[in-house]
Amino acid sequence: MSCQELERLFVAGASDLQGRKHAESCPACAAADRDQQSVRRLVAVLRPPVGTPALREALLAVPARTVDCENASLLIAAAMDEEIEAANRQRLAFHLFRCSGCALASGTLGITRELAPPQPAPWLAGRLAASARPAAKAVPRVGWRWLLNPKSAIAFAYAAALIVMLAGFNPADLARKARTEIPMEARSVAGAASVTLADRVGAFGEKALRTGMVFKSRVFGYGRAAISNAVQLVLKSDPPPARNRPSSGQERSAPFKNETDLTVASWKKDLALQENA
Amino acid sequence: MSGNENDRDMVDRCRQGNDEAWRELVDRFSQRVYSVAYHFTLKREDAEELSQEIFLKIFENLHRYDGGFPLIAWIASLSRNLCIDRYRRSKREKSFRFVSDDAVAPMLTSSDDPAADAIRRERTKMLFAALSEIPEDLAEILVLRDLDGLAYEEIGRALELPDGTVKSRLFRARAEVAKKIRERHESRGPGAFASVAIAAGAFV
Repeated sequence: MSCQELERLFVAGASDLQGRKHAESCPACAAADRDQQSVRRLVAVLRPPVGTPALREALLAVPARTVDCENASLLIAAAMDEEIEAANRQRLAFHLFRCSGCALASGTLGITRELAPPQPAPWLAGRLAASARPAAKAVPRVGWRWLLNPKSAIAFAYAAALIVMLAGFNPADLARKARTEIPMEARSVAGAASVTLADRVGAFGEKALRTGMVFKSRVFGYGRAAISNAVQLVLKSDPPPARNRPSSGQERSAPFKNETDLTVASWKKDLALQENA
Repeated sequence: MSGNENDRDMVDRCRQGNDEAWRELVDRFSQRVYSVAYHFTLKREDAEELSQEIFLKIFENLHRYDGGFPLIAWIASLSRNLCIDRYRRSKREKSFRFVSDDAVAPMLTSSDDPAADAIRRERTKMLFAALSEIPEDLAEILVLRDLDGLAYEEIGRALELPDGTVKSRLFRARAEVAKKIRERHESRGPGAFASVAIAAGAFV
């Protein structure tokens, strides 16, 4: 039968003297006390083993070999942008080899660089190309390109012709003048005008008056023509008058009635003529 | 400034990259860490490798120390897992642990009496052989307390055990070691370690 009193006294922090006093009266605890004292004597003679100076140097170099987890996070972030010195890169690599948490963090962040772009559905490329076709044809705006537009070219041609005509250069007249000689009146006027300065001024004024009258008549003539054309165009473009078709419920006898009356009247007239004849 | 505040200040300076602070930390604790590592490995190379590993771990985890308890307890806590892992691995590889003369030599002081030196050497070998045969949870406490001199409170913090449990385990560890030594002596016959046992003066 073992006694636990010695152990209880030891755990309670009793002195060796108290334990020994109990052991003197308890044979079981006496053997246990002998064992305790023997082991304590065994280890008492031992001295702690001493590390070598090389070990101390190695321990002092620990900060140059690795980093703590907090700094590892900063170095991982810097390494993502390749903004890390070679020494720090080695320290980080050494730490990641040893620390599973930091290695996981680094690996997870590194995955973002390794991810393949998501593949679109097979039909998406065709659809996008179809939708982008008009945009691809669109030509960047350049100032002179509007001239290439057929509408613009036609408008420009019309405007040029109008200006030429308003200026008095009728292509038909020019062609005619090219085939005929200058009239004698004009020659005489020019000759007389060249005599004196006053004559020249008078001739110029007369010529300007005539030109103005011609220009005025032409403007009015072209204006009238344009107005009549516009009126004609407007009249032509009017929608055809709607036919007054009676609906199904309306009285349809009235128009036919007049027609019937006319027919009857013409018959009566014919009959009267036959009787007279 | 209290001891814990001093420890905290030193740790903070280490985290800031202060080489002087790190040197101070190494000089204060390297001997104790190496001693623990050696007692668990009984090989100089292994103990040095284990010490470096422990200090790497200390440096990498400095931010975890909050100054709430002595730094030595925190270091012992870090050391313990690595040492126990190594200790268990070596036990798995060799069911019986052979303790050589060279293994115990660094822990013994030589005297002018060779016979007494031989007796101390044999006793020490018996002690470590017996330690390897008792459960790890008992052996580690005996090593930390009797061989490395940690206080009960430091051991309790390192192993996350109440003081009463630490003392109880220590008591049982000593009893188990004494029992193993006695059993080994009896199995080899009274003549084998007679001189050693007589010198020890307890196990026969």
